[in-house]
Amino acid sequence: MNTFNLKISSPDGNIFDDAVCGFSVRGAEGDLAVLAGHIPFVTTVMPCDCTIELDDGSKRRGHTEGGLLDVGSEEVTFFSWNFEWKD
Amino acid sequence: MGADIKALRSSIRSVDSMLHLTTAMGLVASSKIRRANEAMIKGREYAEAVRKMTAQLTACPECRKSPFMQKRDTERTRLIIIAGDRGLCGGYNSNVFRLAQEYAENAEIIPIGKRACDRYHGEFCQCEGYTCAQGRELSEKLCADFAKGEYDRLGIISSRYVSMMTQDAEIQWVLPLEKSPDAHESGILFEPDEIQVLKAAVSEYVFGVIMAAVRESFACEVAARRMAMDSAGKNARQMLDDLQLTYNRARQGAITQEITEIVAGSGG
Repeated sequence: MNTFNLKISSPDGNIFDDAVCGFSVRGAEGDLAVLAGHIPFVTTVMPCDCTIELDDGSKRRGHTEGGLLDVGSEEVTFFSWNFEWKD
Repeated sequence: MGADIKALRSSIRSVDSMLHLTTAMGLVASSKIRRANEAMIKGREYAEAVRKMTAQLTACPECRKSPFMQKRDTERTRLIIIAGDRGLCGGYNSNVFRLAQEYAENAEIIPIGKRACDRYHGEFCQCEGYTCAQGRELSEKLCADFAKGEYDRLGIISSRYVSMMTQDAEIQWVLPLEKSPDAHESGILFEPDEIQVLKAAVSEYVFGVIMAAVRESFACEVAARRMAMDSAGKNARQMLDDLQLTYNRARQGAITQEITEIVAGSGG
């Protein structure tokens, strides 16, 4: 499966920075999943549980109180100061 | 002579305890330098990433109508002044306050750091333990007040870390946003719309800039203290050497005089 680089960024450093297959969050207009090759866009993220699908097929879950998601052509950056892992 | 020796011994003891103090403070500062520098670099990276994203938004024609991009005629200023938590760090605090004096007149001051809080009578707030939650609360309040028109520009006075030896006090203007010269319309989609995303991005941007400035100022404070304690230690060692020499001379003089007196007494 195609992968892309996901960065979960906070002022205390990157909470996550690795290649992933998918990233699901709740955007301003509802739940969304970002896959490799997604069109560039920027959205606000609502408080929600997030799911990261790693390239080995496993999943990691976290919770955020909100932030900003910047989907670029080369990298996806999620700006969130209060992201916490649930697993 | 006896009184001289006593006074010299007391001076040596006092300088020696000062040397212990400066060495201890220097060691504490040294142990904090690496962590403070790492935090500064992370803070800078975050602020730079959010700045780039916000710069993209400022290029959108829709966003130019946002209150965050409107330059107003009046200049009601809010200034965040970031200084150290403690003294004994050379000119670090005084450089920040000297620069603040130029802009602080008629401005509303938000102090961060114990020294700044003492000077500007603000709510107690440490620089070293400044948390993301505190930064978030402050940035959201500042953005809401700016959107309501309660003030017209926001600046941050803090210190810029150049090297271990050099830290410069500087002011950076955060709000209103200006169109970045390197920003151009990139055709990126914004959900739900540019204005809503800009509102969220500005809050994130102000938060990022505040956190980066606080982390950088703390790194400057620690580096300044390390250098100040180093040179204070050197001076104390020099003073100790000089005092020890004078003390030995005085002691030797007293002994010689005593011997002379004994010899003169026995001879008579």
